Amino acid sequence: MRLNPPDTYWKKDVTLFFSKRFALIIKMLYPLAIIVPVAASGIPARYAAAVVGIVAIMAGTFGAGESLTSDLNDGILARVALTPLSPYRIVFEILAVNVVLDFLQLLPALLVVYILHPVSLLWVCAATFAVFATLAAANCIGVFIANFTSSPADVLLYATAILFPLIYVSGFFRNQHPTGILATLRDFVPFAYANDAMKYVFGLQTRTTPLEVFVYPTVICAALIFIVCLTAPRLLSQRL
Amino acid sequence: METPATLEAKNITRLYKGSGRGVTDVSLAVGRGEIFGLVGPNGSGKSTLLRVLSTGLTPDSGTFRVGAADGINEKRKAQAKLGLVVDRPTHYGDLSGWANAFLFARAYGMEEEKANGALAELFDCFDLAEYKDDKAKTYSYGMGKKLALIEAVAHGPELLLMDEPSLGLDYTSQLAYQRKVRELAGAGAGMVLASNQVDEVEALCDRVAFLHKGRVVAEGTPGDLVASLRGVKRMVATLRNPVEYSPLGEVAGVERVATEGRNLVIHCEDRPGLVADVVAGIVGAGGDITDLSVRRPNLEDVFVKLTGEALRPDEA
Repeated sequence: MRLNPPDTYWKKDVTLFFSKRFALIIKMLYPLAIIVPVAASGIPARYAAAVVGIVAIMAGTFGAGESLTSDLNDGILARVALTPLSPYRIVFEILAVNVVLDFLQLLPALLVVYILHPVSLLWVCAATFAVFATLAAANCIGVFIANFTSSPADVLLYATAILFPLIYVSGFFRNQHPTGILATLRDFVPFAYANDAMKYVFGLQTRTTPLEVFVYPTVICAALIFIVCLTAPRLLSQRL
Repeated sequence: METPATLEAKNITRLYKGSGRGVTDVSLAVGRGEIFGLVGPNGSGKSTLLRVLSTGLTPDSGTFRVGAADGINEKRKAQAKLGLVVDRPTHYGDLSGWANAFLFARAYGMEEEKANGALAELFDCFDLAEYKDDKAKTYSYGMGKKLALIEAVAHGPELLLMDEPSLGLDYTSQLAYQRKVRELAGAGAGMVLASNQVDEVEALCDRVAFLHKGRVVAEGTPGDLVASLRGVKRMVATLRNPVEYSPLGEVAGVERVATEGRNLVIHCEDRPGLVADVVAGIVGAGGDITDLSVRRPNLEDVFVKLTGEALRPDEA
């Protein structure tokens, strides 16, 4: 399969991802630089898990939000949207390719974590999938935010406003043992499952089973992707 | 059976909420192989109309068809028939010019082999072959404009919508662009050309509509529109200093006086001795003439006559 010259939108994103060598090196190194020292240190498991989750959330949300906002401001996306390509397909491709590329960035760091903290293959798969789902959810948030932003600074502001409550509810730092409405809300945030899975990897017991880590985030992310793709006509419309 | 027009727009209205500007009740039809010019000053609604016709903006009211496709309810069918040159073309700067054009050609459904063939011919035609592998962000404004033209025509659109397509093109590229436009029209493509370059519009367009404050104020062939200014001449006087020019309007035979930057544009009857009278009037008002030309009227003069406003008041 040839990527360059690209003949689809997602191939364009992959080509651009690999075309900027310096940026590529930074993108591949920074998750390692943040996660590996944490994994190798003796800090409490819940904080180590939180660091992995935060890195995934930030990479997903800001990556998609900022690149989309920039392309929308340039007018290039509005021009692409005037081709016969389905806007839903364009947004889905943007979302899918960003999730996969973000995952590629995080994968080496995750592998190091698994080497330093060996767990069963089932939990390795569950934790890896949970991080992937976190990236998917974060990218959905990034794409959703791009509907309303006109600059990277806006992305930062909107992302902060949306992510802080979600991170709180997910129990990264506070809300570790939620009850009542907070417990119910937590079940609907995909980040929570990544947090639970990573806590297990780092040595804490969790009530969440690997099956739940596979099933619930899948359902939630599918719904999120569907909803975000519905915003495609508005997202790709001309900004006046 | 009658062949449907390539473009048929009826009573298009689209007003921006904040400014109230836009287009109001615009109707036009463009046949196969016809080049239709849209002329009007900045803010007259040309770009808005093209945005509507390109399916980028939904009109407040009115309908339009591109070939047999309804431009409002069958957007993707209409989009497949369109080629677009937007007023400020942008590209993926980190992709090569060729990769940008290839991406668009494929987005319009061209097969790989056909896309390669068409793009090779077009990159040659617009003298971009040498730079096809350079990143688009290294292109000059004119090269970017040529790349936008290539992206617009590679898939052989039925209708080409162009917003100021020749702005920023060098002389050779303008020739290549005009040759390509005529070639496409010869092959049956309809075109809408929005431009303030009246020479270009007169040279290329079969019919022209003047837009003023969002409405079509006149429509016809360039020849008929210019001929409607029977016996009128256009004098352009460049002055070293601004003067109070209203007394010139009282010179016998002078129909209208307007400013375009440092120039005074005088529309007047074709009578002996009038040029001397106008010059005397300017000098009498304290004007120091550094340049003076007298020539037949053009579309710009038609616009001035129709609206009392200059087509390009911000230039010169």
